Amino acid sequence: MRNRNYRLLLIVLVCILVVSCEKEIPTKLEFANYTYSGTDENGGDWNPILIDNGDEIEVDAPEDVTSENYQSELSQLKASIENINAEQKRAINYWTNNPVVRWNEITLELIAKYNLIPGPNEDESYTLPNPSNPEGPPAFPFAHPPYASRALAYLSVAQFDGLISAWHYKYLYNRLAPYQQNGAIAYAYEPNDIPSYPSDGAVLARVSKSVLLAMFPLEGEYLQKMEDEHLESLLLSGGNVSSDIMAGVSIGDQISAIALARAANDGMKNAQTPKAVSDSIKAAAFERFGWQWDNLEIPVRPVGLTPLFGKVRMWNIENVESVRPIPPPQLDSQEYLEDVAILKDYADNVTEERRRIANFWQDGLGTYTPPGHWNRFANEFIVESKMNPLRSARTMAYLNMAIMDAGISCWDAKYYYHYPRPIQNIPGFKTIAGTPNFPSYTSGHSVFSAAGAEVLAYIFPEKASLVRGWAEEAAISRVYGGIHWTFDATVGTDQGREVAQYTIDVAKTDGAD
Amino acid sequence: MKGPFKTKIGNEHDRSIHQKKNTLSSGIVIFIALFTICFVQGQTPNDALMMPSKNICVLLGYDAGQFNRYWEGDYLRKNETIATVDRNTILPMAAVGIFDNLNLYLSLPYVKTESSEPNGGRFAGAKGFQDFGIALKYKALEKPIGNGRLSLLSTIGYTTPATNYLSDYMPYSLGFGAPEFALRGIAQYQLENGFYIRGMLAHLWRGTTEAERDYYYNDGSYYSALMDVPNAWNFEGIIGAWFFDTTLKLEFNYVGLKSTSGDDIRAYNAAQPTNKVKFDRIGASLQYYIPAIKGLGIVAYHSRVVNGLNTAKFSNTGVGLTFQFQYLKDKNQEEDAQ
Repeated sequence: MRNRNYRLLLIVLVCILVVSCEKEIPTKLEFANYTYSGTDENGGDWNPILIDNGDEIEVDAPEDVTSENYQSELSQLKASIENINAEQKRAINYWTNNPVVRWNEITLELIAKYNLIPGPNEDESYTLPNPSNPEGPPAFPFAHPPYASRALAYLSVAQFDGLISAWHYKYLYNRLAPYQQNGAIAYAYEPNDIPSYPSDGAVLARVSKSVLLAMFPLEGEYLQKMEDEHLESLLLSGGNVSSDIMAGVSIGDQISAIALARAANDGMKNAQTPKAVSDSIKAAAFERFGWQWDNLEIPVRPVGLTPLFGKVRMWNIENVESVRPIPPPQLDSQEYLEDVAILKDYADNVTEERRRIANFWQDGLGTYTPPGHWNRFANEFIVESKMNPLRSARTMAYLNMAIMDAGISCWDAKYYYHYPRPIQNIPGFKTIAGTPNFPSYTSGHSVFSAAGAEVLAYIFPEKASLVRGWAEEAAISRVYGGIHWTFDATVGTDQGREVAQYTIDVAKTDGAD
Repeated sequence: MKGPFKTKIGNEHDRSIHQKKNTLSSGIVIFIALFTICFVQGQTPNDALMMPSKNICVLLGYDAGQFNRYWEGDYLRKNETIATVDRNTILPMAAVGIFDNLNLYLSLPYVKTESSEPNGGRFAGAKGFQDFGIALKYKALEKPIGNGRLSLLSTIGYTTPATNYLSDYMPYSLGFGAPEFALRGIAQYQLENGFYIRGMLAHLWRGTTEAERDYYYNDGSYYSALMDVPNAWNFEGIIGAWFFDTTLKLEFNYVGLKSTSGDDIRAYNAAQPTNKVKFDRIGASLQYYIPAIKGLGIVAYHSRVVNGLNTAKFSNTGVGLTFQFQYLKDKNQEEDAQ
């Protein structure tokens, strides 16, 4: 009996171990700092997006390395490094020598945090998030896919321009990093020959904090904490002295002000229209085509998501109508009826493979959205190919401009054609994905993903067939989910590819290739 | 089988003695299964009943549950996107007496979920087999105290998803999709007049469930398909009594569950397996065995969640049929046959 009790106890312990292990789940891209695949000495000559040239931002010449001030900065730095604590070491490891990735992850996390659709009030009305009263409720913003694409675009473009400017002055003034000035100072990361004045990390910290604060106004405390931690780790890594950082912060302030001035007047503030405007858009579509999309939620949402996002200023396309796709099929056409049969078939026969695809690409409420998903892929590729921060920021800038332009073009089509969703037209139809609050044609996932894939295929040619395959899978995932027609997905994929080409054409002539 | 099968069942102890007498007196009963009674809510890993050695009790239960409100954090709300969610379960289960003081339990529920019409979300429900469960219950002590008897029991249980149902599809998911290891302690004190009280305390170690996406938010980003399902404490308090010569049992129960970690359901957002769940549930059950049919019992119960955190204000009603028989003849029975 006693023996049996021991055996039982042993079984118990083994079971507890089996069940409770494996609880370490990654919260970020795990990578150590690395040797950059290149330093891009001529990066200061590349074409920025918001300004004409890197030297448009003014940065004073640094003090000479032999000066008393610089020498005193060096000895202060040395003392600080000698007194480094465990938390500071953790921060240095966290930020790595490619903080573009970390600031992007912070953005994705804020998108996921704020990607919550406001629910109805007790009286069945809906209150929209209001930037002039961000606390709400509901809190501002609702970080839906268009909002996410725009936040990522401004962040990445401002980072890119700021780093072009930093690179310009780095190689103009050529002040080497403190660890190269003084052998007693060790560098926490892999050494490189990139001059340290102005600090590129400081540009990233300040630009990112400022742009993200404008996009997520309730996050001031968190963003300030992250900026402070990042700036301190730049010093304690042995890579920068205080004056390097101050010069970088100055570039960050100037560039983010330029970026946010553009954002303030890009049309986004009018994108979420009042009901009267929304109704007239719907009526115009009905008059033109004889159909209209309706929200089927209970209680009904009076206005779809950002009806005028299609009018927001694009990055690399003059006129959104120039890339508007062909009209969707008439509701009595053979093509349409065939699609109804396909959707019914998918709904009646949910295979494991189709369910997996529908869920993998869903990127719905509470997540980083499809634009965020493509940024996540880019982060992985950037680390894999050991890009330096400038080249990383370039990748993200073109990726996110193309994705935002794709979103604008998609939303133009959505509200111009105002095409109904499957649940509206097929009686009794049920879905395994959530039907969003905007018209069907074309599929946002398809357009965002195709645009993202094209830019990544341009920057990482070895990944071209991989990412294009992913984009097609993301597109069809919405059909498997039961919330899009197949032509929403196929036409949307073509649309995304076409839109991205405008951005890629700009990238090809920016001086980096 | 000859002679009246006297179905006197006060507790497992009475029953096993009684049954042995019966089999001994019926010499020709060798290959015919010998039925006695077992119960749905009795004869579970959570109670103080034991199956006699060499007996199996199978049960088939049907449970109809639904909710139209749920707690988002501690805020009780309705949500017309899902309207009223129905959850129907068919529960096949078997209890096997290995020794008189060691029982084995096996279970495999089939669950079907869907929203009532109309609803604003138009989501498809889900159906399929949920988790396979296995448990061992051991009676450590039974002794008379005062004019009653104290029993102490312990159960170890393990459940794991039987199919690849999607746990990350709340509120329609069939279960939380993770393995669970449970360790329970049970104490019961029963008076001679049939009244009893019982307490149960359990700790539930829950593993991770695999979503079909590889990013989710749980008070921060997680870059993985694995979701940590929080461990939990589980409590039960029961007051019950036997009536009519121990053919009818009535119980009132309280069940509590409290996750030890986890996040809140976010505003107007779907629940997910990482949520911190807490509930208080009360219920009543009636159990009756039919004297006319040996081995057959019926049970009916109702329970409702009265307080909670990140969980549905769920109420459910169930009925079940139980059937008990002897799967191995006793040695002396074999001898009788020869």
